[in-house]
Amino acid sequence: MNQKPTEISDALDLATKAGYILLQNGAEISRVEETMNRIAKYFGVDAGNFFILSTGIFCTGNTRNLKKNDPNFKPEQFADVKYIPLKGSRLDKVVEINQLSREIEQGMYTLEEANEKLDIINQKPPKKAWIQTVSSGVGSFFFCSLFGGGLRDCMVSFVAGLILWIFVMLVSHQHISKLLLNLTGAVIATAVCVIALELGLGVSLGHMIIGSVIPLIPGIAFTIGIRDLVDEDYLAGATRLIDAVVVFFGIAMGVAITLLIYSRFMGGIIEL
Amino acid sequence: MMENFDMITQTFVGQIISGYFGTVAFAIIFGVPRKFYNVAGIVGAIGWTVYVALQRYCDLTGVEATFCASMTITFASRCFAVTEKCPVTLFRICGLIPLVPGAGIYWTIYYLMANDFHRALSTGFVAIKMVIAIVLGMVIIAGLPNKFFKLLEKKKKIANS
Repeated sequence: MNQKPTEISDALDLATKAGYILLQNGAEISRVEETMNRIAKYFGVDAGNFFILSTGIFCTGNTRNLKKNDPNFKPEQFADVKYIPLKGSRLDKVVEINQLSREIEQGMYTLEEANEKLDIINQKPPKKAWIQTVSSGVGSFFFCSLFGGGLRDCMVSFVAGLILWIFVMLVSHQHISKLLLNLTGAVIATAVCVIALELGLGVSLGHMIIGSVIPLIPGIAFTIGIRDLVDEDYLAGATRLIDAVVVFFGIAMGVAITLLIYSRFMGGIIEL
Repeated sequence: MMENFDMITQTFVGQIISGYFGTVAFAIIFGVPRKFYNVAGIVGAIGWTVYVALQRYCDLTGVEATFCASMTITFASRCFAVTEKCPVTLFRICGLIPLVPGAGIYWTIYYLMANDFHRALSTGFVAIKMVIAIVLGMVIIAGLPNKFFKLLEKKKKIANS
């Protein structure tokens, strides 16, 4: 049983807000659309229209169909456009909003409560900095092993991954472009590996580097981009994939620049 | 002796363990809720096991192995999404990370900048083929009807009751 139709603007506002958080934190377009529809429908808007891109939500709706037989009823209109920057993703928020939208559908929340719950979800603090840093190092360690490095290479990658993430944490609060962030991050990680090789700590430079820069990899943008393309959301998918390609390119340039400088000192191309 | 110990990471068991913990580390970085760490790790480990086993014991090329691993990961994440009641995206993103051909892309750019076009082309093409393999693997499993996975849910309910 649906609730009594509330103000259309409130219901669609709520839906747009949920969509905003979902999109910002790495959900596919189809999921955002589904969730927004679910929320809008439950709160009595049956004529809501959403057009969703990776960087924006366009939302319109009206109440024309709600009380067709009531001659005194004045139909309401609603329109909203939200711009959403492509930023770091937090999958826990996606999970919670997905859960919330299902609970709303089962009638567990009023509109105000749902709104409050959304705010709480959106303000959830990220994981502590040291946990992120350690997991970056641990990730580097094991990925170095996955890509063929020996134990000593993995140790070097661990240290490089730690240093890399400390840098990312320090810089991410400044307004620095994504390309530059990944480029400098990769330069730092590669430099650590080169130094370790010179000191005789590591064996295989290629394996160490690939392990060290792995925390920067745009995994979410890449996978979601493909997913959107497969869902025939071509525009959104292309946006995500270009985002991923820019990051890949930044990392690759960082690695390549450092290696080129190193090879100038060594003479010739480094065997990887 | 030292050399043998150094290469302990390259044993089959070492690879599976690395796949598990590598994926868990990424789950933490991507902000996956704590209760799903284990499942994400299992998905990653399964995918990597398939990838390594096919290459080592069935003589498949990297691209073919990537394709099979991508299918396995997508399938496993859809199964776990039903049993754990959470979005598929979660496990799929974490599980696919090891397959993303980061190395191929970086070396391609490096060889390009170092004017070694022959090697740049060959590594670049392999990287592109791997991306296509990942996409195809995902698409094929994504095409399976939802009903198929709902069966799992029912079975689990019966088992629980």
